[in-house]
Amino acid sequence: MIRVEQVKKTIGGNAILHGISFEVAARTVLGIIGGSGSGKTTLLRCLNGLERIDGGAIDCDGVRLEATLDEATYRRRVKELRRKVGMVFQHLHLFPHLTALGNITEAPVHVAGRSRREAEAHAQELLAAVGLARAAARYPESMSGGEQQRVAIARALAMRPNVLLFDEPTSALDPRRVAEMRALLRTFTADGHTLVVVSHSIGFLAGLADNLLYMEAGAAVEHGPTDQLLHAPQDARTKEFLQQGH
Amino acid sequence: MPRKVSPLIRLAGVLLCELCLLTAAHAQAELRWGADPSGGAPYVYADPAQPDRYIGYEYEMVAALAAAMGRRPVFVPTDWETVVSSLQRGEFDVIVNGLEPTADRARQILFSKPYYVFQLQLTVRRDETRINSLADCRARTVGTLGNTAASRLLAKEQIPFRGYADPVGAYRDLELKRIDAVLMDVPMEMFYARRNPRLKAAGEPFQPGTYVVGLRQGDDRLKAEVDAAIDQIMRDGTLERILRKWNLWDDRQAALRAQLDAPPTAAPPPAFELTNATFNWPEAVARLGHAALITVLLAFGAMALAVVLGMPLALGQSKGPGWLQSLCTIYVEFFRGTPVLVQLLFLYFGLPRLGVVMPGWLTALIGLGLNYAAYESQVYRAALEAIPRGQWEAAYTLGMSPALAFRRVIMPQAFRIALPPMTNDFVSLFKDTSVAFAISVWELATAYREMANASGEFLLLGVIVSAFYLAMSLPMAHLARRLERRMQRRQVVEQAAVEVTA
Repeated sequence: MIRVEQVKKTIGGNAILHGISFEVAARTVLGIIGGSGSGKTTLLRCLNGLERIDGGAIDCDGVRLEATLDEATYRRRVKELRRKVGMVFQHLHLFPHLTALGNITEAPVHVAGRSRREAEAHAQELLAAVGLARAAARYPESMSGGEQQRVAIARALAMRPNVLLFDEPTSALDPRRVAEMRALLRTFTADGHTLVVVSHSIGFLAGLADNLLYMEAGAAVEHGPTDQLLHAPQDARTKEFLQQGH
Repeated sequence: MPRKVSPLIRLAGVLLCELCLLTAAHAQAELRWGADPSGGAPYVYADPAQPDRYIGYEYEMVAALAAAMGRRPVFVPTDWETVVSSLQRGEFDVIVNGLEPTADRARQILFSKPYYVFQLQLTVRRDETRINSLADCRARTVGTLGNTAASRLLAKEQIPFRGYADPVGAYRDLELKRIDAVLMDVPMEMFYARRNPRLKAAGEPFQPGTYVVGLRQGDDRLKAEVDAAIDQIMRDGTLERILRKWNLWDDRQAALRAQLDAPPTAAPPPAFELTNATFNWPEAVARLGHAALITVLLAFGAMALAVVLGMPLALGQSKGPGWLQSLCTIYVEFFRGTPVLVQLLFLYFGLPRLGVVMPGWLTALIGLGLNYAAYESQVYRAALEAIPRGQWEAAYTLGMSPALAFRRVIMPQAFRIALPPMTNDFVSLFKDTSVAFAISVWELATAYREMANASGEFLLLGVIVSAFYLAMSLPMAHLARRLERRMQRRQVVEQAAVEVTA
């Protein structure tokens, strides 16, 4: 489970996150919605240590990042954190010089120190799970956007994280693939993963997220069960955002 | 009907015209003479006390010759190695540069009568005990001037030697133990070695030969003028006065002077044939092959050094702390902003002052390597900067440390970007190895220059040398192309696979 407490982040003098707090229960999916510049992606980057937080704390499965920690401790905690948190970027950032299999086995072999054989067997399982059983030897540049995305997901899963972070997982997909992706992500909670999904597509999150968080201008405006937030928003700003047809 | 002109008046007119032409010619006639003033003492060299002025015994002698010919001397500084071809190309009309009348030169140019009899002197280090004569040098390396009587004698005797561009470098390398002995004409030995307490003469001067003035073939009238002028300054004692002033007068010069009055048949010019160039093609090709090997060694060695050293430079410059960034930037700008020739000379002649003495080939290898490391670092830097930030972040989120991310994710991608410019650099490094001539490393271009100058076979040797260069560079270009194609093919195969499955 994840607990975010009063997290602040300032980049280049601009406050991006002003003291944001929420919790995500284990094996649930949190969807984060909000307009451009609301701080969604920055929040996600704080959750896996790509950005250092300037205030508050993040507690993720017992690993605690605090803004007041000294640099070395913070870095050590981030390293621990990354063993528990997997990330799928909006632009995927697959390694173009490696095959699909190479992309997936790279970290298990060179970071976790697993044997190549074990890592490859696991990678094949993961590829099968994301529906790319025959793509092991292909390079990213020869794959469609949807295929690449599924490789990126398999790559994140290969390190056996408890938490998976997704940044705009549908942006590379054509509409008929969106439902497939949602079904795939659903299976992950059943496997015991906790998911945080940033998306501009409310339709996608509606059938996926247990809870939704609406962000605006770096603050959490409203946080609640998906149905409630979508159909009976408490805050006027949430209502206005939803009415804009997102 | 034309008016009849008195023959007397016509004759007077013709005479007048001739006189006008003659005086005009004499008023303007120049004696353009070429010589190499670099390390040219005591022949002709820049006055150390007043460097914009040339001095030397030959400088004074040419002034006397020109005066005897009624001409104005014009000195054309040139390069000893190419002095014959420069004469043939018309840059000047005569060579006065301690030129020895060798048989191979006789095929290319005319010689005046001799004006000086020189001998060769072998010089060794003060503490040398093994070498007492040229015969002791069989298994050692002897330094000399390139393309001289001395170098030809060494080639003929099959003694390993290194040709230097000037005597200073040869004697300095002898002091630094890069070579074991130096064989040089006595005038140069007198000026550059005799007063050096770290050197000593090995044996007596030997192998007398003569210096002559060189002229273009067909310039027989000028040759007659020069010969007459030499006779004149010998007879009137001008030459003796000049040579005595430079401490070069000895019995042999007196003997040469005495021949003037002897019947022509009685006195053959001394030792005219001592320095035949032993030019034979199999040996020439073998020597070029050896030089080609040196070139390959230099190019590959220097590139290996540059490739390895370029990486820490690139990383230091883009990722290091401030002081390291400045240091790397200074390194890069220094090596890119100064000529590699200057760097090599500094390493070769400057480092020994600090107690670091390296053989020439190693100096060239390290010098070129240090120089190209600066260029490679910039190639790497550009390649590293071309890798999107997201690649680093993806590696970090998978738990990689910066070092691991660099090694496993960034470097392999950067290498592909860097490969084409690196191949380019290698090809230009290959050609840059020719600057090693400055420190007397016999690589291919130097070998060509020296052998072609010695033999005049610029064309044929040029073809052979080009063939050597191509034999080395074509496989490399082929290899680079294959590497690039292999990377592309992988993409194409993958692309085809997609189209089949789609």
